[in-house]
Amino acid sequence: MADYIIETQNITRKFDGFKAVDGLSLQIKKGEVFGFLGPNGAGKTTSINMMVGLLKPTSGWVIIDGQDMEKFDKAAIGVCPQEIVLWDNLTCAESLKLIGDMYEVPKDVLKQRVDQLLEDLFLTDKANTLVKNLSGGMKRRLNLAMAVVHQPEIVVLDEPSEGLDPQSRQVLWKYILSLRDEGKTVILTTHLMDEADRLSDRVAIIDHGKLLKLDTPVNLKKEIGGGDVVEITLSDDSMNQKVIKKIEETGNVLSVLEVEGIINLRALNAVGKLPQIIDDIEETGARMADLSVRQNTLEDVFIDLTGTRLRE
Amino acid sequence: MKFLSLANKDLKELVRDRKGLFFILVFPIFFMLVFGFAFGGMGQSNTPYKLAIVNYDETVTIPMTGERINFGNNLTQLLEEAKYENSDVNLFNVTKMSESEADALLKTRDIDAALIIPDNFSESVLALINHTIMTTTNPLAASQSTSPDITSTLIIRGDTGFINFGVSQGILVGVLAQYQDEIVIQTQNAVQGTPGAQPTVFLNSKVEPIEGTQNFTSFDFIAPGMIVFAILLLATTVAANFTREVESGTLARLKLSKMKGFDLMFGGLIPWSLVVVVQVIILLVVAVAIGFHWQGGLNSILLAILVGVIGGIASIALGMIIAAFVTSVSQATNLGTLITVPASFLVGAFFPLPDVEIFGIPFNAFLPWTHILDALRSTLTYGGGWNDISYSVAVSLVLTVILFAIGVILFSKNRLKSEN
Repeated sequence: MADYIIETQNITRKFDGFKAVDGLSLQIKKGEVFGFLGPNGAGKTTSINMMVGLLKPTSGWVIIDGQDMEKFDKAAIGVCPQEIVLWDNLTCAESLKLIGDMYEVPKDVLKQRVDQLLEDLFLTDKANTLVKNLSGGMKRRLNLAMAVVHQPEIVVLDEPSEGLDPQSRQVLWKYILSLRDEGKTVILTTHLMDEADRLSDRVAIIDHGKLLKLDTPVNLKKEIGGGDVVEITLSDDSMNQKVIKKIEETGNVLSVLEVEGIINLRALNAVGKLPQIIDDIEETGARMADLSVRQNTLEDVFIDLTGTRLRE
Repeated sequence: MKFLSLANKDLKELVRDRKGLFFILVFPIFFMLVFGFAFGGMGQSNTPYKLAIVNYDETVTIPMTGERINFGNNLTQLLEEAKYENSDVNLFNVTKMSESEADALLKTRDIDAALIIPDNFSESVLALINHTIMTTTNPLAASQSTSPDITSTLIIRGDTGFINFGVSQGILVGVLAQYQDEIVIQTQNAVQGTPGAQPTVFLNSKVEPIEGTQNFTSFDFIAPGMIVFAILLLATTVAANFTREVESGTLARLKLSKMKGFDLMFGGLIPWSLVVVVQVIILLVVAVAIGFHWQGGLNSILLAILVGVIGGIASIALGMIIAAFVTSVSQATNLGTLITVPASFLVGAFFPLPDVEIFGIPFNAFLPWTHILDALRSTLTYGGGWNDISYSVAVSLVLTVILFAIGVILFSKNRLKSEN
């Protein structure tokens, strides 16, 4: 038995000369929730499509449970795509039964699983409702149920929270954590840092098809240092560089940089240092329009790595 | 059985999509109505059909009168003089010729049909007369008679892909039935001394309008073509459906499972074959309602359904081939129409086209729907049975299997493998 359930070895995928994924090498451990964090268009979906066999890498290899991509048992993977992929004219129960049949789940077992899944995802009363008559959140939950009805070892969730209301998101997150508790390996792609932060055992930060960093959320945040993050918006952002220079000269902060028109600085005990920072700003003649203080997040890691925010 | 689950899914989707189902079933009816009204009256143009007569008949002597008579010549004369009902226009332009000459002219479509009168035709007519006399004068003796019945077979030969043959054949069948009835009636009248009858003449040359000829129209030839057109159009619908699965991502979901190409294709066959069955029945009912002279009874409906299902499978295969190459539903619809409409013309659904030959074989002979159409015409228009259509069914089945195999291979290669 291999220690890693999925390994990618230098996989690259080109579309008409454009490199969507560029030499990605990583190893995913059995039983972990592995987060792919990156902005839209970073290459997350392309990467997982190569991992599950929907897309052939232009170069490189994908190994699943120690076996070549072509040879592994298809029932070992369940994929919840980013888009809602359902048959509009089937009911929830019929949809799940169809997918169960496609994975050769025995009839009696399948019936129990379908009932359980509908219950877990709060769809029991919609079992006989046509998919086209479900709300967006219900469709999302059914989309997830379709990926796990055959109880795969690896569950791939591509942006599962996309378009979900807060209530449905809580149901989903709880369900993802229950999958981990059952020993499943979960691969999660997201551009939501709190989703990656809360659910993932390890996070791969990816942008422009390249792996930037891979570690646990705690280690990633540690790596950019402790402290709080202060974000300052000036009424005239042409003054940003002048203010940044002044704050750097004072030397009270760990880092200060401009991110999309906003001054972003990290400092230990930022609240205590705020009077000095405000004095520095006033000395330059700039006027503050807004100021916020918060703890650092994975997005700050991303900013530290790329100098930009996660793009929506 | 994964293919049964997929068939169940497809069937539910098909039935629950009321609008889609409505268009699938109603669209061909619309064409049937248009063609029915457009061509339903064409036979009334009273054009004489070109008929070759090959007469092998040998003259016989009538025992009662000693008169020598050749009923083949008698029938020929009758055909020469037969006219459309309420019209002075002859039904046929008759030319007597040898069988080889007739065959050559049939191939070039210089004549519409050939009637081959066998050498024992007069003998069998005489037997019919004798039998009629006996049953009229002494029915008991007739029932105990051991004299053998002599039957002869008149052959109506022609190109079943030629519309004029279809019409000529229909008229000839009517004329021959009328001829036999006339012999019996004339004989009975002669024996019983019915006023006005001439006892010594069993047949005269009186020409009477042939019942029904005024109604046999080009639509009788076209109606089976419309059924084939509807079946061919299914290819577009099937292509669009498969492509919709690709576009919506549901095919990718199935691709990730243990489903094989075979399951998907066979799963699709069952619901679409049911659609074909319903289409054939509806179209036949509509055709009859607007003037199609359906022959062959219930048996012909069953045969037509069987033939239709084979044609439907060929269309599903064509749909798969189209879906293997297109990337959107609109492309599938456009390409499907671009292929199925010319194919309908090629197979002769509307009217026969000149043959384009490949290695001496007409191009359309490679298309299963050509043989499907032959079989449908044979059974629905001409009232043919299994023996008459078995060859067409066999050829269409072989071509359908080949087309289906191509469809499975191309669709599996282009749509069910990992994307390159």
